[in-house]
Amino acid sequence: MLAAMPPLEQALTALLGSPRVISSRDALLAWECDGFTIHRSRPRAVVLPESTAEVAAVVRLLHAAKVPFVPRGAGTCLSGGPTAGAEAVVIDLARMRKVLQISTEDLYAIVQPGVVNLDLTTAVHGFGLHYAPDPSSQSVCTIGGNFAENSGGPHCFKYGMTTDHVLGALIVLPDGTLARIGDAAGPRPPHAYDLPGVFCGSEGTFGIATEITVRLCRDQQAIRTLLGSFSTMSAACRTVGDIVGAGLVPAALEILDQATIRAVEASVYRAGYPEDAAAVLLVELDVPVEVLAEEVDEVRGFFRQHGALRIEEAETPADRKRLWKGRKGAFGAMGRLNTDLYVLDGVVPRTQLENALDGIAAIGRKHGVLLTNVFHAGDGNLHPNISFDGRDAAMTARTVAAGREILQLCVDLGGSISGEHGIGSEKLDHVAMMYGPADLEVMARVRAVWNPDGRCNPGKVLPQRGACAEVAKWPQMIARVLDAEPHA
Amino acid sequence: MTTALHPRTTTELAELLRSRPGRVRLHGTGTRQARLPAADGAVALHLAGLDAIERLDAPDQTCSVGAGLSRDVLDAELLRHRLELPLAGAGSIGGLFASDDVGAVTAGGPAPRTLLLGMEAVLADGTVFRSGARVVKSVAGFDVHKLLVGSRGRLFAATTLHLRLRPRPRASVWFRREGLDASQALRLFLALRALAVPPMALHLHSDATGAVVAGRIAGRAAFVASTLRAHGLAEGPPVTELHLRATAPGEVLTGIVVPSRAVELFGLAPAGTPFLLHGGGRFECALDSAAATDMLLQHLPTISAHAAVAEGAPARRGFGTPLDPGQQQLCNRLEQALDPHGILV
Repeated sequence: MLAAMPPLEQALTALLGSPRVISSRDALLAWECDGFTIHRSRPRAVVLPESTAEVAAVVRLLHAAKVPFVPRGAGTCLSGGPTAGAEAVVIDLARMRKVLQISTEDLYAIVQPGVVNLDLTTAVHGFGLHYAPDPSSQSVCTIGGNFAENSGGPHCFKYGMTTDHVLGALIVLPDGTLARIGDAAGPRPPHAYDLPGVFCGSEGTFGIATEITVRLCRDQQAIRTLLGSFSTMSAACRTVGDIVGAGLVPAALEILDQATIRAVEASVYRAGYPEDAAAVLLVELDVPVEVLAEEVDEVRGFFRQHGALRIEEAETPADRKRLWKGRKGAFGAMGRLNTDLYVLDGVVPRTQLENALDGIAAIGRKHGVLLTNVFHAGDGNLHPNISFDGRDAAMTARTVAAGREILQLCVDLGGSISGEHGIGSEKLDHVAMMYGPADLEVMARVRAVWNPDGRCNPGKVLPQRGACAEVAKWPQMIARVLDAEPHA
Repeated sequence: MTTALHPRTTTELAELLRSRPGRVRLHGTGTRQARLPAADGAVALHLAGLDAIERLDAPDQTCSVGAGLSRDVLDAELLRHRLELPLAGAGSIGGLFASDDVGAVTAGGPAPRTLLLGMEAVLADGTVFRSGARVVKSVAGFDVHKLLVGSRGRLFAATTLHLRLRPRPRASVWFRREGLDASQALRLFLALRALAVPPMALHLHSDATGAVVAGRIAGRAAFVASTLRAHGLAEGPPVTELHLRATAPGEVLTGIVVPSRAVELFGLAPAGTPFLLHGGGRFECALDSAAATDMLLQHLPTISAHAAVAEGAPARRGFGTPLDPGQQQLCNRLEQALDPHGILV
């Protein structure tokens, strides 16, 4: 069997054993894309290391062979970050899922990259602690992937993104050497640079984190979740503005539009949201018990002031779980609308939410695509979702074109092309909306510090030199991808 | 330093750097120069002229300011909008981030990395570039701006900073508990630090005369009152002195430590050594000689603490516990990549 393999696969198998090296074309199907299903490409092979030493050994081998590689967590990324080219080896970290250390006194945990986000919170729940960043995929996504992508989630309005929770990491650099950047004492000794700060969000292009030290948060004494339903999206957005303007800092401020509400209510994620509402606003307060009533009253006051059709308050854990079920399951519910879902991720200043949503609706109409919106209103982080049929090249092209215009709109309104999903391969051609050549050149220099040969997750985040012309070609590029990799 | 330059815009700064003025030391308001290594012969490049509040979006709780803007001026403006920049320290805003000498002042509190959303900056060769965004969330591109934090002007000159702000708490009270010994003070410090809503600022000062725990509890009035009551804390003056000062021939070390190991840290230094511990885990200690510093630096790795000389003879500043070799290499490569000729010192 070994003899039939190419030498590289033989060497990887000798290192890890055959069950942990996957190279048959059929088996590689599971790694052909992440949540950004428009970009599909099967890697050359997949390896499944179980320790830092194994990751380092694999990377040294690939470095010596000059073979590109792509680190991967659970594959829940939504921008094509861990999608590998046909010549690359995927280093899948799913088997590195140990919680190595928990400090309940100093409030940190050291975990391997394959630890599932929610599993960490489950592991520390008994101590009255939790890990705050909570992407919608938190029941499957991994801490390593979150670190690479600087993931967010509904509770990031109050608690911040992944970067605000990472203290340090052990990194396997792209030549197989190790670097410990920060630790439980802090991310930056006084005579060093903030390396974890720049590594976080580098989308697997700087190296592979094999141990990650993260902050844990103490659970709050009281949690109350409220749902307000509104007859217009504007009323929901203005309620958010008033809540934040009053100095309240809810744990989460989430809005779902009517199309999303209806998709949720028709799905297994049914949460009892009113289907006649133009929008629902989910507000979660987690506060000291002595101020709970005061804050709830204020939120209710803002709901009423903006003409809420209905106000629901979850007083029991079961009620709270139900209200969140619809929000957390919203993306899954979209599966009812078409075969594929393009989840966009633009950011605007919170004060521009209404303008952005009006513009997004107009773009949807212009391109004739089915758009729904579910978003982190507190952060101005929009998730316009386009439901489409990926087997239909024309519809796919319209979807991609609409997505591009939506992100340009976000930039024009003073925002960003990504709030939490990253650039990956999806937005390579959109980066120029935000950054000029000098900005990108400096970023490339910083990447080269970590990844001088460019073999760690190549072709991600930064467009290739002279790639501005690629912007116009993106629909054709997608079409090429579809041609090359028939949609199963 | 022989020459002083005073650009008032990013363009002027870039032109100055392109004119190859030789080695350059960046200055904000100058409050932290005594904590930087020697820069003999370097041109002093003063950024105090970059002092505009370029944008303040109060409803969005963000702003963009010149790196040379004084902290006091920004605070006064934010007060008008019931906002604040929840970061300890004085001087220029650029210097506040570039020095990062206090870090977060509470457990899990906002650190400079959290509050810095983006920037415009100039490389040593005069290249103007941008990183990050003005909005509270953006993961577009690499976060080069995060490298400003603690960089002490060695990697680039930030000219405009995009900042995240926070609403001013409705009630806020400074507290102070005196007359403690070091171990009592540490117990109180750790207990307050572990609260679900820890004090917005938390500091422990210890020396031969005893220890003090001080900080600021903020939130709604009912919460502030109940927290003060539950921990028997009395109101006190605000903590404005965030650093220890060296008396020649002594030195001040600054470092990071896992807070629960601070008791071991105190034990490693000679009895009565002044210590200042901030809620985020930063510490300072004032030692009476370079030899005492070297002895402590030698032992710090045994408790996983890291530190470097902040105040002392210029040639000693920056000398500290050994970094991880990989970390050291990355730091060296960053300097080489962004300032290959070592212009910024």
